[in-house]
Amino acid sequence: APAQSQAQFQDRVFRVSNGVSKEHPMGNGLAAMGACTLERTGGKMRIQPYWDGALGNDLTATQSVRSGTLEMVLTSTAPLTAIIPSLGVFDLPFLFDNEEEADKVLDGKAGDWFAAKLPAVGAVNLAWWENGFRHTTNSRHPITKLEDFQGVKMRVMQNTIFIDTFKELGSNAVPMAFSEIYSALETKTVDGQENPYNNIENMKFYEVQKYLTLSKHAYSPTLVLFSKRVWDTLSAGEQTVLKECAAVGRAEQRKVNREKSKVSLANLKANGMTVNEIAPAELDRIRGKLAVIYDRHSATIGKEALDLVFGELKAIRGK
Amino acid sequence: MTVALFTAALLGSMAIGMPIAFALLVCAVVLMVAGGQTDTTILSQKLVEGADSFPLLAIPFFMLAGELMNAGGISRRIVLFALTFVGHIRGGLGLVAIFASVVMAAISGSAAADAAAIGALLIPMMRQAGYDVPRAAGLIAAGGVIAPVIPPSIGLIVFGVVANVSIGKLFLAGIVPGLMMGVALVLTWLWVARRDAVAIRPRQGWDARGKAVLEAFWALLMPFGIIGGLKFGVFTPTEAGVVAAVYALVVGLFVYRELKPAALPRLFTAAARSTAVVVFLIAAALISAWLITLSELPGQVKAMLEPFMWDKTVLMLVIMVIVVVVGTALDFAPTLMILTPILMPIVKEAGIDPVYFGVLFIMNNAIGLITPPVGIVLNVMCGVSKITMPDLMKGLWPFLWAELAVLFLLVLFPGLVTGPLWWLTH
Amino acid sequence: MTRLLVRLADAVLALLLAAMVAMVFGNVVLRYVFNSGITVSEELSRFFFVWLTFIGAVVAMGDGSHLGMDSLVARLGRRGRMVCAAVSNALILLCCVLLFLGTLRQHEINATTMAPVTGIPMAWVFGVVYLTAAGIGVHAVLRLARIATGTIRDDELIEVREDEAPVLREDRP
Ligand code: NA
Ligand code: NA
Repeated sequence: APAQSQAQFQDRVFRVSNGVSKEHPMGNGLAAMGACTLERTGGKMRIQPYWDGALGNDLTATQSVRSGTLEMVLTSTAPLTAIIPSLGVFDLPFLFDNEEEADKVLDGKAGDWFAAKLPAVGAVNLAWWENGFRHTTNSRHPITKLEDFQGVKMRVMQNTIFIDTFKELGSNAVPMAFSEIYSALETKTVDGQENPYNNIENMKFYEVQKYLTLSKHAYSPTLVLFSKRVWDTLSAGEQTVLKECAAVGRAEQRKVNREKSKVSLANLKANGMTVNEIAPAELDRIRGKLAVIYDRHSATIGKEALDLVFGELKAIRGK
Repeated sequence: MTVALFTAALLGSMAIGMPIAFALLVCAVVLMVAGGQTDTTILSQKLVEGADSFPLLAIPFFMLAGELMNAGGISRRIVLFALTFVGHIRGGLGLVAIFASVVMAAISGSAAADAAAIGALLIPMMRQAGYDVPRAAGLIAAGGVIAPVIPPSIGLIVFGVVANVSIGKLFLAGIVPGLMMGVALVLTWLWVARRDAVAIRPRQGWDARGKAVLEAFWALLMPFGIIGGLKFGVFTPTEAGVVAAVYALVVGLFVYRELKPAALPRLFTAAARSTAVVVFLIAAALISAWLITLSELPGQVKAMLEPFMWDKTVLMLVIMVIVVVVGTALDFAPTLMILTPILMPIVKEAGIDPVYFGVLFIMNNAIGLITPPVGIVLNVMCGVSKITMPDLMKGLWPFLWAELAVLFLLVLFPGLVTGPLWWLTH
Repeated sequence: MTRLLVRLADAVLALLLAAMVAMVFGNVVLRYVFNSGITVSEELSRFFFVWLTFIGAVVAMGDGSHLGMDSLVARLGRRGRMVCAAVSNALILLCCVLLFLGTLRQHEINATTMAPVTGIPMAWVFGVVYLTAAGIGVHAVLRLARIATGTIRDDELIEVREDEAPVLREDRP
């Protein structure tokens, strides 16, 4: 009976830190997840999001989650690669070709394998959501071939593999706080940056960047990270609801993210950005140039993780 | 309830003479207990995370630039420069004080330091020439307040970090409002000092003026370098700080040659110590800021302001009045750190430009430095000019009103901030 | 002994700041002259900044240069000031104990988290609070002891200054 099953739920509020603003598809995902937990627990378990990094950036919020002072964070893998180096595999350039591949790997045994590493460092991954494929913008010229990366000052995520990748392409990788990017692009302190469409549109980078290159050079997954310390105080029923509702949120979040990406791309064009793709032959040259990145970081990432992910990809691509 | 507890803890701890940084730690403990989440790791982690920020590095760099410039005799050169041009006209020393305040504001970020340096030079001269000392001291106190509005500014840096707003934009947006404060002081000074019978200094010849220009040239160049560098994207705000420091070092060592290499360790230590005091306070305040964000406080304040949210101007007006009232009793840093996380969500939701808000908020906080009963610049000026607080206030009122008038003018006409900013960034 | 420690700390502060200047300025130069940069300098200069702040906070406690309000305490007699100083130092001590315990509790997590670029364990960054909490804690204990024994000097009873600016020095014009 519903009354009996709901007795196992206590009044709880789970606070979620987000680096993005509430218009981002993460908002749709959290809304769907929150509606699900409310419904399944008779209004007892509530999801309370905080936006725009109000509770800190991904790194500090992740640390708070690990120490149990915050219940949840939606984060990229970046703050975790320092603790679980194998997660660096997702930073490798051109790992996934399309969203379908990413979904299959992350929702399958590879995703589970990585998630299983998290409890040891104080966190539980409820589901894999996404930030999406990253593309390159700059104010100098369209990037159509390998040589076009040469000498372009690029703001890059503060992450060893990303920095290494752009250096290998000949760009000058400049690390910079997210809030400074717009101003730095506007005043041309840096020439370009790389982000998914949604971020490029939300941050209004189209106002200060002329060229958008659909480089699709990396896919950023998002972890729905829950504090292990808090997790252990929940009943089995509560844990199940959270996991299942995170999956409900995942479906919504990915759907909206992909729909919005299409709209964003159209908006970016409408706002005067010159959009170009890189020809397949050139893309192969770029991939070839970046093969060294795979070699250079394979020891850090570890053979087991690499074999697992590449094996999965091979199986998917083989079909 | 939370508001009352928090305010009582903060003011109580400060009243018994605790450093503000520790008063804020006490507040954090109170907020944790009130929020039912007592966890010592919140204190220790958030404290370090608060300081672990690259944009904040601009603070030590600009502090160092200030130390090096001062050791190189910069404020003396700027005052002399202004003296040779306007020293001979009626009320000229007041104009010198305002000019020096604006220029010093474009070189340093500290209101109290600027007021002290300019006051130490000019108050004795003004006293001797027969100026009313409380009025002179009031003018210089009000002039000091321009420092946090015109870049470089520690206040704008900290606001940028806490509110996630571009510091580069805030810097560029602060220039025109800061200059407007200077103009308002000039007009007020000319009006209140028009009947003063004071000794007039002899007019200087062009050779003396030329010499003063040459002397002050390298110092006057620095603000243009910083602003130009930001406008044309030569560097980020943090890098602007380091470039300013290196520039001051080179000018002090090789151009003015007043800076002795043997003095460098002492100056670096002094800059580092001042930085530590300011940043430790900011870091401590960020713990409270984090806890406030999680508490029901922002929601309560939002509910309170809801009736005014139908119009941006009305909302700004209400917020600015609140900040003025808070600023009478609380000083710059605590006001900034406590109110930013509470106000930002409301400001964003109302669709107010965060850069515009930031500049007005910092200007308002800066004016709080000269509103009684609590105001650091008031204490400094009383010390420098050796007068009592009531006397100083008598001289200060017209200038305080003038600066408040500028603030509310900008509330009514946001274009005065956003217009020049658009021009500066395009 | 104390003076030696302060001089040592001052030297460390100056060196940290000098290194930060060298790294950040070096990167500006590298960007314009060679269109390159050193990637560790952003992270390392941030860590130096943290150390500078938390070592400097102890030094500032020692010479009473933390910002605060002394106008109310200044109106009290010696007895009133002693009471205020006792409560104030007890609260400071409490904060130090909590900070120390918090750092200890988080030590394992910080020790196993490596900085993304330099690979330095974050315990080296967060661990600086051990030093700060211990340093300021000892200062508070010594003050409390001297208040209890009545041997504290009058000028030691006010430990803050209201001036945000560095103290005016002889070389100021
Ligand atoms: Na300034
Ligand atoms: Na005030």
